[in-house]
Amino acid sequence: MMFSTEPRRAKAVFNVLRGRRTVSTLFAGLTYDCLSALDSWHGVPMEKFLASLQELLTAGDLATPMEGYVQLTTAGAAHKEQLQATLYQPVAFRAFQTIDVRRFTAISALALQVASQAVHHQNRYYPLTTDPGIQAIVKQWFRRQTVAHLGEQLHTELTTFLQSLPAPLPTVFVASISGFENPGQTDQQLATQLDKTPLEILVMRKDLACRWCLWLETQPQSCLATLLQPLVKSNPVTPSAWQTYQTVQQGLTVEQVAIQRRLKLSTVREHLLEVAILVPTFPYTQVLTPARVQTLTEIFADQPVVANWRFEQVQTVAPEMDFFWFRLFQIMRCQTNAA
Amino acid sequence: MQREQIYQLLKQKYGFDEFRPGQYEVISQLLAGQDVLAVLPTGTGKSLIYQLVGTIMPGLVVVVSPLISLMQDQVARLNYQGEKQVAALTSQLSFGTRQQVLRHLNAYKFLFVSPEMLKQPEVLAAVQATPIALFVVDEAHCISTWGPDFRPDYLALGQLREQLQPQRTLMLTATATTQVRQDILAQLRLPAAQQVVYSANRPNIYLGVAAVANEDEKRQMLQQLVVTVKGPTIVYFSSKRQTDLIAEWLQSTTGLRVAGYHAGLSGEDRFKIQQQFMAGQLDVICATSAFGMGIDKADIRLVIHYHLPTSLADYVQEIGRAGRDGGQSLAVLLYAPGDEQLVRNLNDLTSASANEITQAFQLYQQNITPHDDLGQVLQFYWEHDYTVEQVTKIFEKRQRGKNDELRQLLAYVQAEGCRRAVLLAHFDEPAPTHTNECCQLKGDSLPVAALNLQAPLRAQTPPNPAWESILDQLFLQNS
Ligand SMILES: [Zn+2]
Repeated sequence: MMFSTEPRRAKAVFNVLRGRRTVSTLFAGLTYDCLSALDSWHGVPMEKFLASLQELLTAGDLATPMEGYVQLTTAGAAHKEQLQATLYQPVAFRAFQTIDVRRFTAISALALQVASQAVHHQNRYYPLTTDPGIQAIVKQWFRRQTVAHLGEQLHTELTTFLQSLPAPLPTVFVASISGFENPGQTDQQLATQLDKTPLEILVMRKDLACRWCLWLETQPQSCLATLLQPLVKSNPVTPSAWQTYQTVQQGLTVEQVAIQRRLKLSTVREHLLEVAILVPTFPYTQVLTPARVQTLTEIFADQPVVANWRFEQVQTVAPEMDFFWFRLFQIMRCQTNAA
Repeated sequence: MQREQIYQLLKQKYGFDEFRPGQYEVISQLLAGQDVLAVLPTGTGKSLIYQLVGTIMPGLVVVVSPLISLMQDQVARLNYQGEKQVAALTSQLSFGTRQQVLRHLNAYKFLFVSPEMLKQPEVLAAVQATPIALFVVDEAHCISTWGPDFRPDYLALGQLREQLQPQRTLMLTATATTQVRQDILAQLRLPAAQQVVYSANRPNIYLGVAAVANEDEKRQMLQQLVVTVKGPTIVYFSSKRQTDLIAEWLQSTTGLRVAGYHAGLSGEDRFKIQQQFMAGQLDVICATSAFGMGIDKADIRLVIHYHLPTSLADYVQEIGRAGRDGGQSLAVLLYAPGDEQLVRNLNDLTSASANEITQAFQLYQQNITPHDDLGQVLQFYWEHDYTVEQVTKIFEKRQRGKNDELRQLLAYVQAEGCRRAVLLAHFDEPAPTHTNECCQLKGDSLPVAALNLQAPLRAQTPPNPAWESILDQLFLQNS
């Protein structure tokens, strides 16, 4: 799903999926139009990724135009289109950028179990997780709830959320909850019941977790809101890069920012590239200066495919220009093309 | 502490009037200041021993346990019984959580930990700074069976125990031959520990062996057994892949509710399958041997081995998960000619020739970090100043031990006479009187009807309820 008929660097795609936040990974995500998948398969081992790649290569869906790169074959492109039409397509993976979805999923699963057992006055049960950190968070949360209303409130909230979803998502979501007399169902069991593969169920559940986080963000009065809040970042950027960005917004040049923040110039540049990739409202012209924008626009006037631009082209025309300006301009064009 | 007080505590905390065989004896020995090696059959409630002693004695109870999944099951079970001050220190915890636990060890009563984790300087320092009432080595036979060539950190437990200076040490296992018991005491440097040894015999489990000609016949036999014999049933496999494949095949061909269970599942899936099985929502679990160590289901009626276990000790422990309620149960080992090759292959995985050992030592001398499993196991020995000759001897001895174990297992499978006699002889126990409820002699058929183990008529599995009604059941009180 992550490949196209244009060659893409396999390693870069892998790094996007597992959420490696380096500028080169982020840039690859941007040019490959798969940034929304950033961090969606956190923890997947390289071997597993390579094994599935090899399967696709053997099946003839992928080809290797050059070392390290892969692209879809015609058959592969047709296959992808067919899969996109029949398989569940996630819509909310962008939540991974600003929310610790995995941790919230673990915490809320225990919270729902504790609530469900409490509603039925059951205090002898096996907890869903024995992680002492998660147990402590849920215990604190539970103490602040009014048990008499908790069940009804959760029931109402979940019903509202689930009614907004297309079938079979509500079934998948509810079957994933463990609570009183309902241990819940595994992906394998749901797959059998719904006649899908366990992998597709897994994608649905990841997407559901994201959808639920995004929905809860809009419901500050929800009884689960206090569990979500500490796991939400105000923006997808790392805190240090965000600080650099705010200094730039005050009108300082890159060099001035480096001095003020006591950072190396190269670090400031890395920060700005990260922000540019992840924040669409980045003030490109201010940072690049209109003069540089004009020079670069002229150089690449007749090259619409941004990913094919080469820095050597800049060096022949404007040898004094740093790679940083070229990359920033590239990102700007990707963003405007996408918008 | 007086006998009456201990019984009072048993009643008050766990609601029991009587101890299971061996429990009281071990508890009173520990309270009298003895270190104890306890060999008690599966299902005796070994964890109750350290729970009760931990309640009486001030200080932390450290339980060394071999598997993360087992530790998590044990913590969940203690939570279930109302013990809140329990934690398992595993590699799955986040860095912050781990620090949190270590910094507040005084707030805990029970700490579960693997030998590898315990040896880490930071962990060891924190545990050392805490008064320890009881040091428990659970599944203590691992010292002898896993220590030499698979988990060498088990061999360092004796030294770790001395560093921790616990008031008492308790070594627990369900099955141990005389040799293994000696190994455990020697490795833990506790030659004077009291031994409380109970029979490995479980008279309410009928011992069957089904010899089949090939894999196809084996599948047919398995299918026939799970359909005609009363469950709940556990089927043990030695490979993860087979576990899933056969679980799916059984589910689709028998209409029974079947699930696969192995170390490859997520914690969440393991939880769900265990809970479904305990709640009677599954008929058959297809599992690798990891399943069932931590769960407490008393009414399992049938345990089938699709592959040979690795030793008779393992076999006794695995079939011991049947019939904990004392009711008649059945164990069947399926055997096709050549099955022993699978065990040999598994044993070969951890073997090492004198040549390999010498090469590994040379790499160590050149400061090259090994990346393969064997190299990492050997690293332990080099770091503890063993010579190549010593290590070669240890590995040879362990391989000989494994060959012996396989030979004795095959003697059980191919026995002409009473199988229970063969099994008990392995643990230096006298032969029982063979009866019709004892074991399946060569050539006899399984007396399923005589044992009163015919499967009842199974009701059609109801369709899954709609999500709305599941949600009602979960969160509304009167639904
Ligand atoms: Zn017999």
